[in-house]
Amino acid sequence: MRSVVIGAHLRREDVEPLATAIACGDLWLSGVGVAGDQPLGDRDLLLRVADVRAKLLDRATFIAIRYGFAATPAEAAAKCAEHAPRWRRVLEANRDNVEMTVKVLSAEPKARPDHRAFTKGADYLRALRASAAEADPKFRDAVSSLGEHRWTHRDGRSLECALLVPRAGVERIREAAERLKNEFAAVAFLLSGPWPLEVFADHE
Amino acid sequence: MSDEQDLSLLETLDHLLDRGVVIAGDAVISIGDVDLLYLGLNIVLANVDAVIRTGRK
Repeated sequence: MRSVVIGAHLRREDVEPLATAIACGDLWLSGVGVAGDQPLGDRDLLLRVADVRAKLLDRATFIAIRYGFAATPAEAAAKCAEHAPRWRRVLEANRDNVEMTVKVLSAEPKARPDHRAFTKGADYLRALRASAAEADPKFRDAVSSLGEHRWTHRDGRSLECALLVPRAGVERIREAAERLKNEFAAVAFLLSGPWPLEVFADHE
Repeated sequence: MSDEQDLSLLETLDHLLDRGVVIAGDAVISIGDVDLLYLGLNIVLANVDAVIRTGRK
């Protein structure tokens, strides 16, 4: 039976019995069973995976695998084997860390380039980069000062900052976000999390 | 479902579908010469929309 693979975990007990534990080297992958005829876009499956993912994070930090990878246990283990040694190092270094996300709506949205107008992929990527949203530099600095971070340009309307936060520091980030709401009343932003290691999945 | 719950669900699905290590991204873009990455997103977005509608019932 195929499973939708949710993440990579240090210990088997981090996974079971919430999800199926699939051995991958000395790591464990978490999986949720999917029937042969069930499409990955199925609403119930999406919600079930989202629910299990949240419960797994409550238990222990893991490396998130993007939704869409469904495989038998043997296929999943084979596909992930090359990553396992690095994932183990990342997980050991970030056992007590989670991610939080600050999503910022740009005050001046930019039009996204039409990919059909480009004949070269590199030109399109350059135009895409030029069309990326920007935020108030002072707000960016204030968010960046909250801790280890990575900014990502999402699209022409928004950008995002992923923060690597100790589990014990989640409340501190929430309180800081409340202060930022008052300090930067004109900036529309959303703080969310905690999340598993997503943007920092390569963090060593 | 409240706006806050809507937002929380959307954010959760956004992270599920668009974050983390990509193991099988090519599963979405491997059919013919159609821009299936984009098509895939459309399919998913339609599904998210269905999730929200169902949640409101």
